[in-house]
Amino acid sequence: MTLTPHTENDAAYVIRNAASKGTTLSILGGGTRAGFGNRVSAEETLSSSALTGIVDYEPAEMVMTAKAGTPVGEIEALLAANRQMMSFEPMDHRGVMGTAGEPTIGGVFAANVSGPRRFVAGAARDSLLGIRFVNGRGEIIRAGGRVMKNVTGLDLVKLLAGSHGTLGFLTEVTFRVLPVPETVETIVVSGLDDHAATQAMAAAMAMPVEVSGAAHLPPTVRGRLIGGQLPEGEATVLRLEGLEASVSVRAEKLGDMMRSFGSVSRLGPDLSRNLWQEIRNVAPYKGSPNKPLWRVSVAPSVGHQLVAALRLEAGIDAFYDWQGGLIWMQMEADPEEQRLRRYIKALGGGHATLVRAPATVQERLSAFHPEGDAVAALSARVKQKLDPGGIFNPGKMAGV
Amino acid sequence: MSEAIRFLKPRAAVLARRATIVDDLLDLLPPECVVHEARELVPFETDAFVAYRRLPLAVVLPKTTEQVAAVMKYCHRYGVPVVPRGAGTSLSGGAIPQEDAVVIGLSKMTQIIEIDPANRTATVQAGVTNLSISDAVSPEGFFYAPDPSSQLACTIGGNIGMNSGGAHCLKYGVTTNNLLGVKMVLVDGTVIELGGKHLDAAGYDLLGLVCGSEGQLGIVTEATVRLIAKPEGARPVLFGFDTSEEAGACVADVIGSGIIPVAIEFMDKPAIEICEAFAQAGYPLDVGALLIVEVEGSEAEMEAMLKKIVEIAGRHGVRTVRESQSATEAALIWKGRKSAFGATGRISDYICMDGTVPLGKLSYVLEKTSEIVERFGLRVANVFHAGDGNMHPLILFNANDPEDAARAEEAGNEILKLCVDAGGCLTGEHGVGIEKRDLMRHQYSDADLNQQMAVRAAFDPGWILNPSKVFPLEGRPAA
Amino acid sequence: MQTNFTAEQLADPQVAESEKILRRCVHCGFCTATCPTYVTLGNELDSPRGRIYLIKDMLENGRAADAEVVTHIDRCLSCLACVTTCPSGVDYMHLVDHARVHIEKTYRRPLIDRMIRNVLAAVLPYPKRFRTALALAKVSRPLAPLFDRLSPLKPLAAMLKLAPTGSLRKSNATQPGSRPPETERRGRVAILSGCAQPVLDPGINEATIRLLTRLGVEVVVPQGEGCCGALVHHMGKEDPALDFARSNVDAWTREIEGGGLDAIIITTSGCGTTVKDYGHMLRLDPHYAEKAAHVSALAKDITEYLATLDLPRLESHGLAVAYHSACSMQHGQKITMAPKNLLKNAGFVVRDPPEGHLCCGSAGTYNIMQPEISAQLKARKVRNLEATRPDVIATGNIGCMTQIGTGTAIPIVHTVELLDWVYGGPKPSRLA
Repeated sequence: MTLTPHTENDAAYVIRNAASKGTTLSILGGGTRAGFGNRVSAEETLSSSALTGIVDYEPAEMVMTAKAGTPVGEIEALLAANRQMMSFEPMDHRGVMGTAGEPTIGGVFAANVSGPRRFVAGAARDSLLGIRFVNGRGEIIRAGGRVMKNVTGLDLVKLLAGSHGTLGFLTEVTFRVLPVPETVETIVVSGLDDHAATQAMAAAMAMPVEVSGAAHLPPTVRGRLIGGQLPEGEATVLRLEGLEASVSVRAEKLGDMMRSFGSVSRLGPDLSRNLWQEIRNVAPYKGSPNKPLWRVSVAPSVGHQLVAALRLEAGIDAFYDWQGGLIWMQMEADPEEQRLRRYIKALGGGHATLVRAPATVQERLSAFHPEGDAVAALSARVKQKLDPGGIFNPGKMAGV
Repeated sequence: MSEAIRFLKPRAAVLARRATIVDDLLDLLPPECVVHEARELVPFETDAFVAYRRLPLAVVLPKTTEQVAAVMKYCHRYGVPVVPRGAGTSLSGGAIPQEDAVVIGLSKMTQIIEIDPANRTATVQAGVTNLSISDAVSPEGFFYAPDPSSQLACTIGGNIGMNSGGAHCLKYGVTTNNLLGVKMVLVDGTVIELGGKHLDAAGYDLLGLVCGSEGQLGIVTEATVRLIAKPEGARPVLFGFDTSEEAGACVADVIGSGIIPVAIEFMDKPAIEICEAFAQAGYPLDVGALLIVEVEGSEAEMEAMLKKIVEIAGRHGVRTVRESQSATEAALIWKGRKSAFGATGRISDYICMDGTVPLGKLSYVLEKTSEIVERFGLRVANVFHAGDGNMHPLILFNANDPEDAARAEEAGNEILKLCVDAGGCLTGEHGVGIEKRDLMRHQYSDADLNQQMAVRAAFDPGWILNPSKVFPLEGRPAA
Repeated sequence: MQTNFTAEQLADPQVAESEKILRRCVHCGFCTATCPTYVTLGNELDSPRGRIYLIKDMLENGRAADAEVVTHIDRCLSCLACVTTCPSGVDYMHLVDHARVHIEKTYRRPLIDRMIRNVLAAVLPYPKRFRTALALAKVSRPLAPLFDRLSPLKPLAAMLKLAPTGSLRKSNATQPGSRPPETERRGRVAILSGCAQPVLDPGINEATIRLLTRLGVEVVVPQGEGCCGALVHHMGKEDPALDFARSNVDAWTREIEGGGLDAIIITTSGCGTTVKDYGHMLRLDPHYAEKAAHVSALAKDITEYLATLDLPRLESHGLAVAYHSACSMQHGQKITMAPKNLLKNAGFVVRDPPEGHLCCGSAGTYNIMQPEISAQLKARKVRNLEATRPDVIATGNIGCMTQIGTGTAIPIVHTVELLDWVYGGPKPSRLA
């Protein structure tokens, strides 16, 4: 049965009830990430879909408060009307997951969903200023606030962000928004192999030109973006945003520098916007629901080594975002979990999350990266303090 | 010494074993790493929140994570409270000890472990000062962005404890937005690593939870931080206004127009005079309020942005606009701003507030603050990070007059409550410490605080770690 | 910061002054960051803030000094980097001076410590005795490793190692009397000969006199001038320090009242800091307060004075100079730009070493009394200076020259020697 409370108080009531009976709850936002993470077997579903509406929006203060079930589309539309945006560019998972429905703002923060700008502008969690949620006892808890600087007490906001509904049921979120840059440009460096691309991206990031997107698209991926309009061969793409006058100067500078790596071209604002949206949504890997898809986070300098090592032993297709530190990796068939995790460890650490896989594959492995014993134990204790009965999304995340 | 804020009653069993504990600590660490002579403990009795003081039982100054872990494990076994200390620059009393506590000071842990330009990270021991990270990575063309005013002295460990901010956070975020990983010692001496050179957590964002936890969850001994390419140029510009109201309105308008400078700092007349006397930075003395707005980038970028800001300031009756003419002058402008608190010491004792308010409430809160302070018969100087609404009224008083001191504390409490009531919070970057501990219930409900304390208990169920801080003493769950 | 003194305690003008100083400190901790001993040892007790607190506790309780307090005060170099850093304007210099006097009065040091201090106080300020001692040191040098192994005797080892190995030259630069200007007269100044400097390196004042007289300045070496008193002053030996000060004030006052003085030129910045403080040191002496204040006002570092003479600008000749600003120069006297500007104007390429604010560890007799910390600071300073890859190191304090000179092969000279050279004097012997 799906429970759909219309108010925060109703949600608290429902959860108190469930807690007293030990009824497990599967937490549902828009359902666009259904299948993400480990399979949850819960007795009932608790949906935020009736907790909707933008509660407060002060463009001059760059802060918005919305109920958790508010569709992301509604928020983005209102922000766009005020020439503002969520700087962390939340990915829309519908393409790769093959799901329908509307992503909700609560879901975005519960999954800490961030896009290409994350490596310079922060993740969803960095924009999240305050939350209201119901804990596993059915108590309404407020954490954080609506100001950017706030170190009053423990930062439960960060803890709840990315906890995938296992620690509490978000009812309201307050987050920082930023002005939409006046213009955008993309510098394309063509013909670099993964290693050279990693070096080029690091060099770009060391320059004072404020690159706000750095992705590397191997040949298999390049053609599947913006209708194949990127130049032939590998494409290493670097995004610049800001005031018109400033972007043109920086593009000049960056282009000059990048010519020592490969041939350089520019995309212009319109194609740029499309390209980065498609990268954000991992467009190259949509429409293959049976191919396991990993999201791997490692140090930017080693991403290409990981891919190279795996390529020798498995059928994979991969592209890089975040200067090489985020790897979207689509597997031909076998998820190669053990091998992948072993290599990540050998390359200095990081994590891999299985975003998509056929149910048969999902059942035999953990979607989340296993943590060391001490950290896992700590996480389990934290979970116990927020959801003592273990009623929220049981089994969704590793170990908790 | 003020007495309005209580500390936990010392554990009698710990006090009774003092001599043994000192002997045991001397077994665990080299002699130069243990301070235990009564007279030598005195300088550790407080930090930069000097109104409150408590002697510690002993102070240890370990050099390695292993030594921190050994002391932590020992203290855990015998129920000895532990108070972590970086450089002791806390303005909220975060590092003030208590009679039954061992202070773990990180001042000997000053190794820069690795600078990794390709990944734009630096890994350092927790006792490394904030500024020396930027100094160390400067030859590679990078800097570490959060810049608390005490950045010359304060440590990265302390920054993590308080989630420190600074002037340039408007653009680059505070510590938590620039921290990639830590090595930390848990209460039982277990050493864990959270994060690393990669982004985001594999599971729960414990790193985000630890940042700003004021030494309540463990002791960070190493940190990996994000570096940023130094901008081509940066230029602070001074905007003088007749009134604080005009300046406050200008700030809101600049931000609202979609321009985000690197920093917008505010000073009222008393603060201008204090800072100018110390730094001789050329702040205009004939204005009622001053904004320091910093823009950065290439010459063309700075010009473009400045043009827009000057235009907005013009709408708010700006009287003086002065661009810094050289790097030396720019450095002086910042030196004056960053020394503001200390420089206030030239004219008076002070306590420094740290409430944050929504931008739209700046002018209102400034006005009310003046009213409150006047009502208590005291003076105030305002110098703060206006761009993010993080206010720092400095309440001036005479520390040798107990009644004056008590009035200052009361006025401070009223100001902080005002900030909360205006939709803000008690502390933006200095931390709760002991200073704001008893005001926590003004901002949070019992359920909110109980939840925070429950999470705290997942790390330290026995209230060993910095136990007199952050959470009101009444209503704590039993250990 | 709050203080707790009784009215009775405050009746003592020294205590009253210290109380005022303490009241300014807001305990912000900025000073810790630039303190050489805190940076080296990582202990708050060895930082300015820690020492201020120890002194406060000792004075408030009217207590005699004890071994712990003495240990940490003794480790202070008196480099005054903290004073430069302090935003609140805490006058640490006079606070620690007071503490040293208090220690000297109330604390009985261990025998060997006392002996070494007494010997230093009896020898260093007197050029003849110092010259004899250095001759003895040369023959005793082989004993240094032996002393080094016995903790209380380490200062002796340090002393022997610092003694110059070459032969000591006598100079007539210290002969009392006037040196007339070589061109049209622009001024008349006295020059402090000092005590240790003319023995260790008479070339400095020779260069100064040559340069000044060439520039049209009459230079007088006054009769009766002696050690400035800094050495004993920093040991807390107040009475002999004040005696030195009075005797110099007398000597200079005679010149002021006689031929008149535009400045009292000092070529060792350590001495400069002290002479500029005579006004304060003698403020409670009704017979000397006014004269001493006048002397302090006339005291100028040689570079400070040269900066007023508008020296001609010279073409660059490519010689790279790492400028080491002595603590007494940059922190004690706040002279930071003048020496570098003079060198640049004279065609040198001037390089600032990293961590320029940190002491080299010389600090008067510090390298003798605290050889271990001093050695660490020396190594750090040399590393930073060498990192600038200079042809020569220039500084304005003989102590730094001796200290740094024993740690690097790069020649180190006094700023005025370089200036004298390029403005027509001989090449400094160390560059030959």
